Amino acid sequence: MDAAVLSALWISVKVATCATIACIVPALAIARWLARGSSRGRSVVETLCALPLVLPPTAVGFLLLALLGVDGPLGRRGLGLDLLLTWQGAVIASAVMAFPLVLRGARTAFEEVDPRLERMGASLGLSRFAVWTRISLPLARRGLIAAAVLGFGRALGEFGATLLVAGNLPGETQTMSLLLWEDIQLGQESRAVTLVGLTALLAFVLLFAANRLTRGGRASR
Amino acid sequence: MICDVVLALDAFELQVSFETEARAIGVFGPSGAGKTSLLECIAGWRTPSRGRVEVAGRVLYDSASGVALDPRVRGVGYVPQDGLLFPHWTVERNLRAADLGRGVPADALATAIEVLELGPLLSRDVSTCSGGERQRVALGRALASNPDLLLLDEPLGALDRPLRRRILPYLVRATEAFDVPLIFVSHDPTEVQAICSEVVVVESGKLVARGNPAAVLGASERAGMDFENLLRGELELDAEGRAHLVLEGGVRVEVPSRGARRGTQALFGLRADDILLALEEPVGLSARNRLRARVERLDADGQDVLLSARCLGPSGAEGPLLRASLTVGAQRELGLVKDGPVQLVFKTQSCHPLG
Repeated sequence: MDAAVLSALWISVKVATCATIACIVPALAIARWLARGSSRGRSVVETLCALPLVLPPTAVGFLLLALLGVDGPLGRRGLGLDLLLTWQGAVIASAVMAFPLVLRGARTAFEEVDPRLERMGASLGLSRFAVWTRISLPLARRGLIAAAVLGFGRALGEFGATLLVAGNLPGETQTMSLLLWEDIQLGQESRAVTLVGLTALLAFVLLFAANRLTRGGRASR
Repeated sequence: MICDVVLALDAFELQVSFETEARAIGVFGPSGAGKTSLLECIAGWRTPSRGRVEVAGRVLYDSASGVALDPRVRGVGYVPQDGLLFPHWTVERNLRAADLGRGVPADALATAIEVLELGPLLSRDVSTCSGGERQRVALGRALASNPDLLLLDEPLGALDRPLRRRILPYLVRATEAFDVPLIFVSHDPTEVQAICSEVVVVESGKLVARGNPAAVLGASERAGMDFENLLRGELELDAEGRAHLVLEGGVRVEVPSRGARRGTQALFGLRADDILLALEEPVGLSARNRLRARVERLDADGQDVLLSARCLGPSGAEGPLLRASLTVGAQRELGLVKDGPVQLVFKTQSCHPLG
């Protein structure tokens, strides 16, 4: 395996890990609210959060460019962030694309927890935080881990939005998807085959793990 | 306790209102009568359309003044029909669940473990517990949380009848040991009589009867031919080791002596169809109990008759009212009529301990 592949593998894993971590906290909070809340705004929020699933990744990348660009509200002249063409920019792009998957999985995981168990916790005097951390989260943990694994997989394969936000800088922002795209463009078929095999293997392992976790969770209930 | 709850349900409007000084109140009624909804309103799991819930002078809910305490501060110990144990915790952690909330006093936990015989289960995962064990743990968890009010929603309802009868003594002992005000929902007249000093009957969301459990649940329309009499009294042991239960009016009943301790209060069940009826005291019969009684009611239901007879003590004092089932043919043949004499005959082994 040549150095470019190893570098792309490392950047992909780094970006996907950070993107998944960045997704988890807001996804947990929103998923919990969607699963248990009764507010009318839920369907609007749910639809908004699902948009990256159906929008072309390049459209999401364009919106992120508008936000993170030099003149954007979060950019250098706005909030002062300088994330374009950096691996952190790739993290943002991957996190936005992975977020709907993590959110859906987390919502399902919370919905499968019997709400009466949470009420029972309240009747025993547990605070909302204690009910959340001692009852809801542990009972939903398998589904939540599965959601995170799927989100990680999605982030690992992210291409369009990442290319627009972070570019394709070897050793800096070049992930496996971007290297594969470059190899296809340049006709480097043998390395492309290696990359396809590697990404397919990673995807299989992640999906297998997510399925096992989800099934195991159902069987143990 | 004041319980005045109005709540719109899918099929009808739940409207139950009662005020009582009794510490153990039974809520009796068929499935779907609104009993669980009533308890959930008291626990704060549901919000009534209007009403007032007050326990020992503390208002938990009052629509008029806008009071609706959060379930966390209601001080309610709730035992639902399915126990609702936390499946990811061991038995001991379930019993200590309120440690994360309003606290578990050490003596309450120790008493719950002792009375409900939970010691051997403590390290077990709740998923490995049987139905009866799970209900004992759920009851222990509620009691160990030191509640101001205990809500028992058919805690034995998911168990079959033999198992219910085996678990009932635990329930009786636990409610006596903790002496906490309680509301006990059940559609089993025996359980309600064993635990409660007053009962309200709810049908289709409405309160249709209220009073002493034996009187209300012994009424023909609710008793049924499988009615179980409850014998509550003080145990005496004679020189030969036989156990006698002394009931009101000095009526004595010989009961199984296994585990009996002199001078203790005890509770036994006696099924209505385990009682034979005779016009005179029978001779040459193995049954040890032959009680003199007076017929008070005869309620016919098709070919079956439920006879209510007042037992009479040695001095003629009135004892408990017992119910026996017989056929219309047997009633005619014996000529049993209201206020007529009758002998109630049953075996010692027909009396089974309930507490």
